[in-house]
Amino acid sequence: MHLLRYLQHWLSGRGPCLQVADFVPETHPIRQWADTFPWAALVAAVERSFAQRFPKLTTRGRPPVSTRVLLALELLKHELACSDEQICHRLRTDLAVMYACGLTEVQVDGSQAHFVLPEVLAQFRRRLDEPLMAELLAIQAATAMEDSLVSPAHLVVDTFPSEQGSQRVNDAATLYKAQKKSSRSSRP
Amino acid sequence: MRCFGRQCRGIGHVFVTLVRRTETHLLEMGEQVLPLARAAQAYLHGATHLSAEQRAHLTTRLTAALEAHHRIAHQSRRLTQGKTLSHCKIVNAYDPSIAPICKGKSNCPAQFGRKPGIIAEPAAGFIFALHLPVGNPSDASYVQPLVDDVEQAITRVRTRHTPAIHSLAGDLALNDAALREALHARGILTVGIPKTIDPLAPSPTPEDVSRILDEADLHGIRTPTQVHLACACGYSRPVVESIIASLLCRGAWSLTYKGHRGAIVQMGMAVLAHNAATLVRIHEYRLSKRARMFRRRLRLRCRKVNQDNASIN
Repeated sequence: MHLLRYLQHWLSGRGPCLQVADFVPETHPIRQWADTFPWAALVAAVERSFAQRFPKLTTRGRPPVSTRVLLALELLKHELACSDEQICHRLRTDLAVMYACGLTEVQVDGSQAHFVLPEVLAQFRRRLDEPLMAELLAIQAATAMEDSLVSPAHLVVDTFPSEQGSQRVNDAATLYKAQKKSSRSSRP
Repeated sequence: MRCFGRQCRGIGHVFVTLVRRTETHLLEMGEQVLPLARAAQAYLHGATHLSAEQRAHLTTRLTAALEAHHRIAHQSRRLTQGKTLSHCKIVNAYDPSIAPICKGKSNCPAQFGRKPGIIAEPAAGFIFALHLPVGNPSDASYVQPLVDDVEQAITRVRTRHTPAIHSLAGDLALNDAALREALHARGILTVGIPKTIDPLAPSPTPEDVSRILDEADLHGIRTPTQVHLACACGYSRPVVESIIASLLCRGAWSLTYKGHRGAIVQMGMAVLAHNAATLVRIHEYRLSKRARMFRRRLRLRCRKVNQDNASIN
């Protein structure tokens, strides 16, 4: 774990303590989005899976970044269409992202460049596997069903292509076709 | 040899000579791989200066590389001999899940990549399960694993009334007799899967309802109301497209994570993020008229409790 010594932790700050929830209004989209997740169950599932597959051989070293933060960052990355670097930067400056990551209070320290490094996020992602992802999805679905928000009574199944080479029409393709058409029609 | 694209729009061209020449060249290039791999195996076996862990790691990598070579060599041999491939052609040595997608757009070049399958509720678009197989098998093969995943999620529900799957809808690609039988055996109606290109009747007559229940042999298990609702849900392409569009804008458009496992992680995260956004919409009751109607008929929670209280006060 060479990365551990590069890790920066929000707990190490020496400035005034900020209550994150006070700064993020209840109507904020990221707060609303984050509040829908059953975080405790999701984090427990991830930690259980990691403990089984990657048992800790030693108790030495700095404590790792919380699973809750890393899981939230990975999800936020998709929700906000960010790269690893971008989402890690936003965690340092964006209080809504901090709220979504479960940080309740922050010690302000201007000299701190990162809370979480992108490499740590990539390392976390490398440990996720298919059964764990299926379990996370099942937990989310079960929670939504328990709250009577969704019902599996009538379902629809479909597939879609992804990855490069997809022929799904996008804005650029539409624009290109429109230009081509107009140039053709303007010819004598 | 497999042709790409739909046959209904023009003839698919396959450049047989070019394919054979390329595959022969590939086979010639790959001839050196086997002796080299054997030599490497022998060297690894005698490499006492390496630790057992390192040796095991290198052996696993070597075995994986040999398997990839074997797969490609087998494919090339079949193509040079003019035989059909049992499945679609592998285009990436280290990731067999990247392959041409059989279900391509009409009269277009073949699509390469992965084909994830989703099972969702049509009212709000909440996705219950995701399936991303290796390669690109037929759409009908996605259904059973997806239904299994939903039933696993249902077993986690700790409420008095355990939910159940009443019906399943899909496009014409799911029209498979064996699949219908398997779903009926699980107590699931297949009225939403069309048999022809004709549109489904959204409000069936009592005779139709009786016929549907007879066909599925689900008389004591499913009620006429459930059949009516299943017919009303049907299969709506705009509904499915909206779910897919939501996933695509959350990173499912182009899978950047490495390998099949990476693709599953990326898709899974996109689905979780999409579901959270869907739940926000449900909480705020930002739903279409159709979705509101279905929710009422399914007796799902319609408004936030505090909103109801506010309206009463």
